[in-house]
Amino acid sequence: MKIIKSVKVFASVAIASAIISVPVFGQENTRLSDAEIASVAVTANQIDIEYAQIAQKKSKNADVLRFAETMAKDHQSVIDQAVALATKLGVTPKDNATTKSFLEGAAKTKAMLNSTNGNAFNKAYIDNEVAYHKAAINEVENVLIPDATNSELKSLLQSALPLFKAHLAHAEMVQKEFNK
Amino acid sequence: MANPYSILKTCACLLCFVFLLIGCTSSPVKVTHRVSNVEIKQMQFQPASLTVQKGDTIVWINHDIVAHDVTEQAGKLWTSGPLAPGESWSLVVTKSADYYCSIHVVMKGKLIVQ
Ligand SMILES: [Cu+2]
Repeated sequence: MKIIKSVKVFASVAIASAIISVPVFGQENTRLSDAEIASVAVTANQIDIEYAQIAQKKSKNADVLRFAETMAKDHQSVIDQAVALATKLGVTPKDNATTKSFLEGAAKTKAMLNSTNGNAFNKAYIDNEVAYHKAAINEVENVLIPDATNSELKSLLQSALPLFKAHLAHAEMVQKEFNK
Repeated sequence: MANPYSILKTCACLLCFVFLLIGCTSSPVKVTHRVSNVEIKQMQFQPASLTVQKGDTIVWINHDIVAHDVTEQAGKLWTSGPLAPGESWSLVVTKSADYYCSIHVVMKGKLIVQ
């Protein structure tokens, strides 16, 4: 129960921070620059790879392991393409308040995941994946895509959207196994 | 020097070839196997359901930013293996099948052989 609660809290914090991230931190400019968007994109994808690595270490459930493998591969592909594009455009990813809030949320979630085991771990991992992808979809859809100025960056983010939505559907499918 | 046997073989081959040519040009009503494409884009097989004739070739092309595969669902009778972005894979269809992407299990498609 505590796990579910903390996942929910994390999700709502992540969603809230996605919507109001910049004003909360009191910056004058409410719009993320392309360099900041690149940083958020790389960080958010890297975080999900790290969750997947924990699952690959701790889980013995075939569906969870297969899901984690897909997450590790797909999010690495997105990072590779974001980095390649940033390099091509001569943009250096720049840390910002959104990156920071993603990392803070991830630190707590990783600690929580590392402290659970067995089926409780499987459930905690997959519940978090559902919440995390919902937050990521919201961030990409409502912040990163509208804020992106470079058309190639915008297009990469637009390609990531159906990917994250498919990940969410996959996570929800696996989640059913643990909510019986 | 070529021996008579090999000359005979060459003649036979040529004759076969000529007959084949005549066969092709004079009877176009014979079996026509078609090639159909399934685009993999935005995490979907498009079209998701495809009606084909036995012997048709289906070509799947991955337009997405991640790898996908094309795997027969019921018994994993055939699979493309991972298709990187930009890669394609083809299959000659002999019977109807439900298929999916084993990497993204929510992606599903169907082949209906008439
Ligand atoms: Cu796939």
